[in-house]
Amino acid sequence: MSVLEKKSFPADLDSLEGLRDYVLAAAAKTKLSKKKVYKLELAVEEIATNVILYGCQEHNIEVDVVIEAELTEQSLVITLIDQGVPFNPKDKELPNEEDLAKSLDERPIGGLGIFLARTGVDRFNYERQDEVNVNIFEVFLKDND
Amino acid sequence: MAFQTSLEMTANGVAKINLAGKLDAGTANQFKEIIEEAAARDARRIVLMAQELEFMASAGLRVLVFTKQKLGSPVDLYVIGAQEQVVETMEMTGLNHSVIMMDYYDADKVEVL
Repeated sequence: MSVLEKKSFPADLDSLEGLRDYVLAAAAKTKLSKKKVYKLELAVEEIATNVILYGCQEHNIEVDVVIEAELTEQSLVITLIDQGVPFNPKDKELPNEEDLAKSLDERPIGGLGIFLARTGVDRFNYERQDEVNVNIFEVFLKDND
Repeated sequence: MAFQTSLEMTANGVAKINLAGKLDAGTANQFKEIIEEAAARDARRIVLMAQELEFMASAGLRVLVFTKQKLGSPVDLYVIGAQEQVVETMEMTGLNHSVIMMDYYDADKVEVL
């Protein structure tokens, strides 16, 4: 069941707030804990940032990012769709424990966003469908800590 | 709430930086500029007043990494009163090991160099 009408935003960093507000509005239709909602908001923010900066702006692609929300008996699913260059966040190697234990002086500057996105939701998936990237964030309604 | 940040330097070179609202990829540059200003004013310690910081994305974490690399190891980085979810993000990414987290601003500890 769709819980909110899908919405489009220009692929621009100014759209991040609108995208996050959409996630919060969808989550408000559930009883998800504040913690789970925050992590979902963060996950969507991180992938949207990647899509905007590296999938679109870096290649001078001016498109919209579409967001939609669906509620099932088991979960809230947020889907982010873009026509930027193909990018599967699941192909990206995540930092390991050793990387995360490094002091700030020794760390590479990037690499944490996709880690936060993939670990912040119960299930993260990516599909390439008909020339579009589809990033799917699923949060289970049970195990609500 | 939109992201807001401001800098206040104490007489002994402690840079108190107020952070409020949502720190994301679109606003992280404002934070980075404030850090650069603190560095230009020879900050000997960076203290982030984070009580009003509602959200911090990895773009904000990157500025913390940048801060430490820009100012060097002798300049301690404090984070004061961060909200639970912000603390959790720092813990998940291991950044909590490289900063000094405090619940309240304690001038006796923070301002004595």
